[in-house]
Amino acid sequence: MIYLGIVFLLLLVLGAPVAFAIGISGFLFFLMSDVMPTSIGVQKIASVSQSFPLLAVPFFVFAGHLMNESGITERLFRFSKVAVSWMSGGLAQVSIILSTLMGGVSGSAVADAAMEARILGPTMIENGYSRGYSAAVIALSSLITATIPPSLGLILYGYVGNVSIGRLFLAGIVPGLLMMVFLMCAAYLVAKKRNYVDRDAKRPDMRTFFHALYEAKWALAFPVLLVVAIRGGVFTPSEVGSFAVVYALVIGFVVHGDLTLDKVWRAATHAVQDIGMIMLIILFSGMIGFAIIFEQVPQSIAAALLAGMSSPVAIVATILLMLFIAGLFVESTVLVLLLTPIFVPIVKQVGFDPVHFGILMMTIVTLGSMTPPVGVAMYTVCSLINCRIEDYVRESAPFLVAIIALVLLLLFVPQLVLFLPNLVF
Amino acid sequence: MNNVLKRFELVCGVILLGLIVFLVFIAAIMRTFGHPLIWSVDLAQLLFIWLCFVGASRALRARAHLGMDIAIRHLGHRSRLIIELLLAVLFIAFLAILTVEGVNLTLLNRERLFGDSGLSYAYVTIAVPFGSLLLVASILSNAMEAWKQRNAPAADLVFSQSENASEQALL
Repeated sequence: MIYLGIVFLLLLVLGAPVAFAIGISGFLFFLMSDVMPTSIGVQKIASVSQSFPLLAVPFFVFAGHLMNESGITERLFRFSKVAVSWMSGGLAQVSIILSTLMGGVSGSAVADAAMEARILGPTMIENGYSRGYSAAVIALSSLITATIPPSLGLILYGYVGNVSIGRLFLAGIVPGLLMMVFLMCAAYLVAKKRNYVDRDAKRPDMRTFFHALYEAKWALAFPVLLVVAIRGGVFTPSEVGSFAVVYALVIGFVVHGDLTLDKVWRAATHAVQDIGMIMLIILFSGMIGFAIIFEQVPQSIAAALLAGMSSPVAIVATILLMLFIAGLFVESTVLVLLLTPIFVPIVKQVGFDPVHFGILMMTIVTLGSMTPPVGVAMYTVCSLINCRIEDYVRESAPFLVAIIALVLLLLFVPQLVLFLPNLVF
Repeated sequence: MNNVLKRFELVCGVILLGLIVFLVFIAAIMRTFGHPLIWSVDLAQLLFIWLCFVGASRALRARAHLGMDIAIRHLGHRSRLIIELLLAVLFIAFLAILTVEGVNLTLLNRERLFGDSGLSYAYVTIAVPFGSLLLVASILSNAMEAWKQRNAPAADLVFSQSENASEQALL
């Protein structure tokens, strides 16, 4: 098992695509094993693809691209702008609200951060916001998408950890909304002190507000319909994913009339590429996942953890700290695929709800992509709005404080996470 | 040949994606109205692995596969090209073994049936060697492109884009 880890880290450091680093180190297990035929490795790759819950991945990726092309993103942006741009730090508030709304449409934090850096970044700088503050608010607010359904991370967590994806989706709503509120407070306090205001923005009257709300109704209705469809247990998350694609097509062609066959083709080609990128990592992780279980890694880690501690909350807090440190260096999809099978059994063993843990874990590992030294969302935003990493780090502090406060709150008050799924399931 | 393959991947990927959406959607609708289609979801599940590999190959050509560049970011273009070419050799060897083992496994799996639909599980496992070969072709094509432009400091590498290009791609 040690040599697997060494090969994996070596390949990562050399800049190998993550999928191959995972694939080759996992395959080594089968090559070196005396008891395991090599062809079982191939078998493990193939069997990953035979999981019905994973079909939700291509559907939600495709639906997200279609919604971008069908004018849904644009309408959500206009609505957020009308609703909050008059506040202190108005454009920062727009970024936070937009992340929350986009979280209900696409499931990817990095895609959300990149989109906002393009459409909001330049305006923020023009209005006198510092580059560091703009980059920090855009990158860190995309963390909200990690828990708002449909979240790709939660689908993967549910698949690997054998936890109900429907329950996870519902459990993510309240934490996502709380994250929005916490970040808005942090943005407000800093902006107030520095007097960041959008010069042309004024408080909307009821008419303007409801007009913008009405314009964005199909986009806003989507996450609600999604939850309603999954809630009754009549449809599985994967089936709902296929509905999402059809919904985006109908809204785009019939209701908004913004969609053309060219745009559908473009959305589909982007989706195929994204699906290939994500799914190759997932398929290849089938081998290393098997090795982890076969070598009883969860048991040894559990023994080490449980020897020193007895309180479930202390154990989960320790695990979260480990995840945070791992997240500083490793991409979140990889962490979910490799560490969920290790930690979920431990968490269950000490009587901690795996749905509750999943929400905490997703928040922490996704946060890793917004922090140095390795953070895809951070690099994307900083390079798009030309911000130095040092400035970004300094200006992130108030938002990080807000996020950590929220994670602690969610850790100690499980009801905040669990009350919605317990209510409906 | 290379361009034909590239086009083939794109068209295949889009068709597979559309088919899978359609199959799952129809199955859910028909079940709601009391006429469940058993084969529909099974077929979607079977096509899924093909979509994954076709898409993976396409992402490789677009140099979109995620890697960490923290340690090698500051190396020169030439050193990075050498590292990626060596990685390419390693990956091709890995994919070649997967191809051989995949074919072996498929031959073993001919008898095994898939779900309730009577389809052979071999259609699933054969996707692994097929996909591995697609990936090999894409790696070779990228490596050749990168080698041709080896003296241009801003050119793409085998698996990653040049600094300028990756910023462009995001815009």
